[in-house]
Amino acid sequence: MPATTTIVHLDADAFFVSCELASKPELRGTKCAVGGRERGIISSASYEARACGVYTPMPTTRALRVCPDLILLPHTTGLYGIISRKMFALCETLTPLVQRNSIDEGYLDLGPCGYSDDVQLEVAVRGLQRRIWDELGIPVSMGIARNKLVSQIASKLRKPRGFVVVPSGTETAFLAPLDIGKLPGIGAKTEAALKERGLAFISDIAKRPEDDLASIFGRDWRSVVSSARGEDDRPVEVDHDDAKSYSQQETFAADIADPAEIERIAKGMIDELMPQIRTDGKRARTMTVKVRYGDFSQESAGRSLAEASDLEMPFYPLVAPLLRKAWTRRSALRLVSVRFSGIEEPARQLDLFSIENEADTKRRKLASVLDLLNRTASGAKVKYGHQIRRGTDGHE
Amino acid sequence: MKFKINRDHFSNGLAQVLNVVGSKATMPILSNVLIEAEKDGITLTTTNLDLGIRVKVKAEVKETGAVTLPVKRLAGIVRELPQIDVSFDSAPNHQVKLNSGGSVFRIMGIGKEEFPPLPDFSDDKIFSLEQAELISMLRSVAYAQSSDETRYILNGVYFNFRDGKLSLVATDGRRLALIAKELEVPAEKAGSIILPAKTVSELLRMLDKGEKLKISFNDRRAAFQINADNPDTGLVDSIYLYSKVVEGNYPNYQQVIPKETHQRIKLERELFNECVHRAALVCSDKSNSVKLKVSNNLLEISASSPDFGEAHESMAIAYSGPDLQVAFNPQFLVDPLRALTKDEIYFELKDEVSPGVIKTLENFVCVVMPVRIN
Repeated sequence: MPATTTIVHLDADAFFVSCELASKPELRGTKCAVGGRERGIISSASYEARACGVYTPMPTTRALRVCPDLILLPHTTGLYGIISRKMFALCETLTPLVQRNSIDEGYLDLGPCGYSDDVQLEVAVRGLQRRIWDELGIPVSMGIARNKLVSQIASKLRKPRGFVVVPSGTETAFLAPLDIGKLPGIGAKTEAALKERGLAFISDIAKRPEDDLASIFGRDWRSVVSSARGEDDRPVEVDHDDAKSYSQQETFAADIADPAEIERIAKGMIDELMPQIRTDGKRARTMTVKVRYGDFSQESAGRSLAEASDLEMPFYPLVAPLLRKAWTRRSALRLVSVRFSGIEEPARQLDLFSIENEADTKRRKLASVLDLLNRTASGAKVKYGHQIRRGTDGHE
Repeated sequence: MKFKINRDHFSNGLAQVLNVVGSKATMPILSNVLIEAEKDGITLTTTNLDLGIRVKVKAEVKETGAVTLPVKRLAGIVRELPQIDVSFDSAPNHQVKLNSGGSVFRIMGIGKEEFPPLPDFSDDKIFSLEQAELISMLRSVAYAQSSDETRYILNGVYFNFRDGKLSLVATDGRRLALIAKELEVPAEKAGSIILPAKTVSELLRMLDKGEKLKISFNDRRAAFQINADNPDTGLVDSIYLYSKVVEGNYPNYQQVIPKETHQRIKLERELFNECVHRAALVCSDKSNSVKLKVSNNLLEISASSPDFGEAHESMAIAYSGPDLQVAFNPQFLVDPLRALTKDEIYFELKDEVSPGVIKTLENFVCVVMPVRIN
């Protein structure tokens, strides 16, 4: 009988920390976390640190209070994306049907791969888990089931390095004893509310009459019931690798109230993001600037160009007006972010009146040289003049 | 003021002047039509200050005078009146009584004094043209006007009276259409104007009512006298259309029309149009281009969009030059192909970054910049 449980959910364990530990094995087994120092937040914590009460996202200062001996590792820009791509590339050696949900999590459909039975398939998936560890040093948890819903619950069940198989036909029994909060869409608040109404475990759902469920869950009650039975027919969707947006943000060490400084930082983000857009051979049409105040409330404003561009120049003039539009309150900012969306293919409508065309052609040429320089010469960066900060001595 | 008028004639006249009035007039009077009764007819005038239209309609005037009424409501009422005979009676307080069969309407008007006068047909520079000819010339180029307000200079059709011809040009910066006809232009009358897009569309709607039209213009405005005498429609004399012009220098269009011909392909217009149109059915906002591949006696047209699919069309052509490949926005090809009426056109190409030129043997050129696919 061919394999029946063919959907695999892969979930990397403490991904950012694992990426860091892959190159710093001496830190394995310690309480460590990746996060911004000073005013940042913890974005990933080792299981040892989690045992002390560190969770994500948690302000770093709080994490250091609950776990004073926490080893704080700074973000390594670019590293996690590279390792993630390598990890999914390994997945693709098993099946072309790989759906990346996020940087550290995704689904694999092994259905069309012709495994003669479930045992064979399980052996192959264990092989993948081992390979990701051997070659990349990243521990991952796997869940194998008949569909996405159950495989996802399974993979999260025994982290880290979990490996849970839910044989076909046993989905309802597998889910029955689990907390109701394990079902997708039921968060901590809902879970608490449901517990008050006597729904603590997934099996409790099946025991209730339909009228009851309709009044508890509202219009969506039928989908909750089918989830509780482990039913799910969503296919594994192979996503396009194309980025839908490019963004960057910066949390400041101390709140900034100076508009000129914020503008300089935002322009610097344009300078960081545009080379990425050019490298991907894309162009962006819309720029959105977001500001976050000291009290974490935030506002944003965006604007589109008449025509998408892969050059910094057309976006600079938008920075000041967008900041004025977004930054309405008279208080200092803790964070600013710039996001490019409306990403388009590089096909470019040429213009008849070539004056502006020539200027763009020259800028593009300049940009490609700068990109090359900034990529190769490590440390030595060619920057635009607006990035030179007017310090006390007039130099950066 | 008192007159009797045929309902359909009245309605025809109002329909001619209705479009000028925008939905959000800046002054209430600009939502109104000025109705003036003279000895054997009435004139209807509307204006939005940039553009004004005046028509004359046959009527039996018993008492001369003038009043203004909200034109949209009035046109709606007149259209639906029950009888063909309509009597119009305006009191000194600008209240108008409209009678037709058993229907009586009383409408509040505004006095004529507030209505901004339409400048007269000046004798600056005057040319006489055939209506049918101007309409076909305008249709050949109007689609290429820009609607991008930041390029306001291109939001219209350029009329150039010079060197023994009238040239009409429209461009949006990515394609340019030009048509010319021979016309006697005395040196002192040579000149050019950019006629705003709105005026162009009104002209296109109005022309074809008679044989001749006269255009007069100076640097700031243009006026058209369009012969419209027709007993069936009830319009008499001519329609008068006054328009401000787009002020500024039109780009030097001569410099973007390629001087040399590289590869010339003769095409059946309708067939080419159909193929491009069909291939473009798979295009999307994100990938809006069709690829043209020219090889020995074969033209292949293809298009694709990554999230939908692809299309291939092929056409037999007479061609023995080098292989060529170039992509265009399909709309930029379809627009001139649809506007033209000749069965055969010429398409001139050079390479993937040089403009394509659609031509007829009759002084028509459409220059289209390609889409460059990296």
